Amino acid sequence: MVVIIIPALMRPYFDGANRLEVEASTLDAVLRALDDRSPGFYERLVEDGRVRPELAIAVNGEVYQMALHERLAPGTQLTIVPAIGGG
Amino acid sequence: MTTVDRPSYKVIGTRPIRPDGVEKVTGQAQYGADIRPPGLVYGRIVRSPHAHARILSIDTSEAEAMPGVLAVVTSRDLPTAADKVEELGETAVNLRELSENILAHDKALYHGHAVAAVAATSSQIAAEAVTRVKVTYEVLPPVLDVRDAMRPDAPLLNENRHTKAMDGSLSEKPSNIASVVQFKGGDVEAAFAAADHVLEREYSTSMVHQGYIEPHNSTANWNSDGTLTIWTSTQGSFVVRAQVAQVLKLPVSRVRVIPMEIGGGFGGKIPIYLDPVAALLSKKSGRPVQITMNRTEVFQASGPTSGTHIKVKAGIKDGKLTAVQATLSYEAGAYPGSPVGAGCMCMISPYNVENFDLTGYDVVVNKPKTSAYRAPGAPAASFAIESLLDELVKRTGSDPLEFRLSNSSRENTTMVTGVPFPRIGAEETVRAALDSPHYKSPMEGPNRGRGVASGFWFNAGLQSSVAVSVNPDGTVNLIQGSIDIGGTRASLSMQLAETLGIGYDDIRATVVDTDSVGHNDVTGGSRTTFASGLAVHEAGLDIQRQMVQRASALLNVPEDNLEYVGAEVRSKSDPSKRISFTEIASKSGQTGGPIVGKASLSARGVGAAFGTHIADVEVDPGTGKVTVLRYTAVQDVGTAIHPAYVEGQIHGGVAQGVGWAINEEYYYDEQGHLLNSSFLDYRMPTTLDLPMIETVLVEVPNPGHPYGVRGVGEVPIVPPLAAIANAVADATGHRFTVLPLSPRRIVEELYGL
Repeated sequence: MVVIIIPALMRPYFDGANRLEVEASTLDAVLRALDDRSPGFYERLVEDGRVRPELAIAVNGEVYQMALHERLAPGTQLTIVPAIGGG
Repeated sequence: MTTVDRPSYKVIGTRPIRPDGVEKVTGQAQYGADIRPPGLVYGRIVRSPHAHARILSIDTSEAEAMPGVLAVVTSRDLPTAADKVEELGETAVNLRELSENILAHDKALYHGHAVAAVAATSSQIAAEAVTRVKVTYEVLPPVLDVRDAMRPDAPLLNENRHTKAMDGSLSEKPSNIASVVQFKGGDVEAAFAAADHVLEREYSTSMVHQGYIEPHNSTANWNSDGTLTIWTSTQGSFVVRAQVAQVLKLPVSRVRVIPMEIGGGFGGKIPIYLDPVAALLSKKSGRPVQITMNRTEVFQASGPTSGTHIKVKAGIKDGKLTAVQATLSYEAGAYPGSPVGAGCMCMISPYNVENFDLTGYDVVVNKPKTSAYRAPGAPAASFAIESLLDELVKRTGSDPLEFRLSNSSRENTTMVTGVPFPRIGAEETVRAALDSPHYKSPMEGPNRGRGVASGFWFNAGLQSSVAVSVNPDGTVNLIQGSIDIGGTRASLSMQLAETLGIGYDDIRATVVDTDSVGHNDVTGGSRTTFASGLAVHEAGLDIQRQMVQRASALLNVPEDNLEYVGAEVRSKSDPSKRISFTEIASKSGQTGGPIVGKASLSARGVGAAFGTHIADVEVDPGTGKVTVLRYTAVQDVGTAIHPAYVEGQIHGGVAQGVGWAINEEYYYDEQGHLLNSSFLDYRMPTTLDLPMIETVLVEVPNPGHPYGVRGVGEVPIVPPLAAIANAVADATGHRFTVLPLSPRRIVEELYGL
């Protein structure tokens, strides 16, 4: 199972849930599983084969660039956060 | 220095001379404005005198007819850009907005917005030609304050802009609010209802500039083979290349960016302003073109950071911070992209708070498009929450640092994003501040006060690429693509020396152009010593492996019986069989050719940074002048690779933060004209305004880096705004909620003028 933390403004898509568990082994599979629960969700996050540039995914607490089909270990925690830049 | 669980190193932790030091102090270092390609001509920008105006026409004929004028360009010379967000280096960029900011298309959106450019045989002729470009404007009402811009009846900068939520959905009506983010956890209303103490306040900060010494500059040559060469001052040559290629619709491989030495950036030299314009002028004139901003242009038309308005409410129960609710509104400038998301995510990170509701608005106003500035978004958010907590904690009678200690974030504390912290040193910085001679000293004298504040910054990883060549005499050349702003040629060389077991002086590091090494993201986000340090370490391990292979042939010992220890390879079973790094290097031609180590990576294992600061001030009750008497900055630096540079980063961050707190602000008239676009009128602190800043380096090594490196460059600017404001409140008995704490503001508020 992969745990995904849902940001506040996206919780209405999942009946207010802030944390979901899905059976998936890649980010793409996680997002498609969420799309099954809330049709259209995948398209809101993914464009041109990658997560929208304004957003970022934290994997076990760390934000880094990852491919949609990179393998995720069971128990991985994903978090959707706004993309940020440093100075 | 406080050290926690740090191994002993030979090179790391020493303080060698920086390799670029001699060239810089003798004036030999080459900056962007020093470059003089044969046939060089000079460009200059035509800028809008209005903060908000429709461009009805641009007549360039008179300028083009001037003797000595070789080219004039407007936005019509730029390829049409798609209304599309692209990842270009560290941050996402809307290509149409990037193009419009470089040369305004149909509207000028701030005083100083570029609308055209000229190239001429002398800078004097170029300056005169600028006045001959006739632009007809329809002047529109400007929107200058973030709260005004959010009103439903505010004039719109872009009639087609709708508010975008995190899920990508758009508001029904157009708005100056470009986007909204929200972070929510627990039940704030219930926590407020149960709290012993609840306080709500509103805070404002002004737009401020990074204040780098070297103005923006670019020299471009459109070569006869259709390739483009750019010499520029930037924090990221590869990001310049990517942005120029996108804006001019060129293949990336046809653009070569040569980074010059840089005279400061602090985030402001990540976007591009001049490079495509110089390129277009070069294409039209057939000559290399150089454009250098003057100081007024830097203030008017580069990328300062947001003015903000923040409303925040907090509750304490039994000494614990139980709830925080806040609305953060940040000016983005003319185009979206303020750091309000980061402001929300940093605001309460020093604390373990279960209940929170933080909403952030990114708002366009008729001011220059904001850019990153050292820990973007965090200082203003920290000013708000740390000021509020100071006032709230005083009501409880607690010591402000003891309160921070008992509420501190620790390993596995969950951030507002739901992400748990790995090993961090937040608590350790508070303990070190409590133990500091400064905090233990009495605060004596009239009109004097002491303030404390804590702060947080994420730090970044991103992409780095290096190459390391071993020379026959055992010396090493380190080829890096990361721009050296804060001493990374030294900090990377030191990590390589530690990995290879050789001396720091045996390594020569060089920053090269975009054709000469793999992609490197910007020197920003406090990432270079960490991420390029990881790359250097991997390249060093690559060399170790090759050294073992070569030694096997030279010693006639199987590879699996050899180990690299120090600066030599030796037999595990017979230590008398050994060969030095230098000897292997000298025989590389006989054992397979040159030894070159390489590493390219997208760094993982970033370590976050925390700081806790103490400020003593004296406030002149007659003039309102704030004098900083003593300042101590405590910071978790992971491992200080070069402690003097780490201290320097902290000194610099504190100095900028003190300026932000006391003096600095963009000052506009009602029509949106910037009135203080010089260093005489935009008051930055000098050495005469600051005491010796005391630093306490707490070392809680980052487990995600082989040497425990955490970024250190940004977090020191986060606490000073609140530390100073809290000290002023302590000195005067009056709580100031608007920055800067200029003499005028202090006198007006103290005496109700």
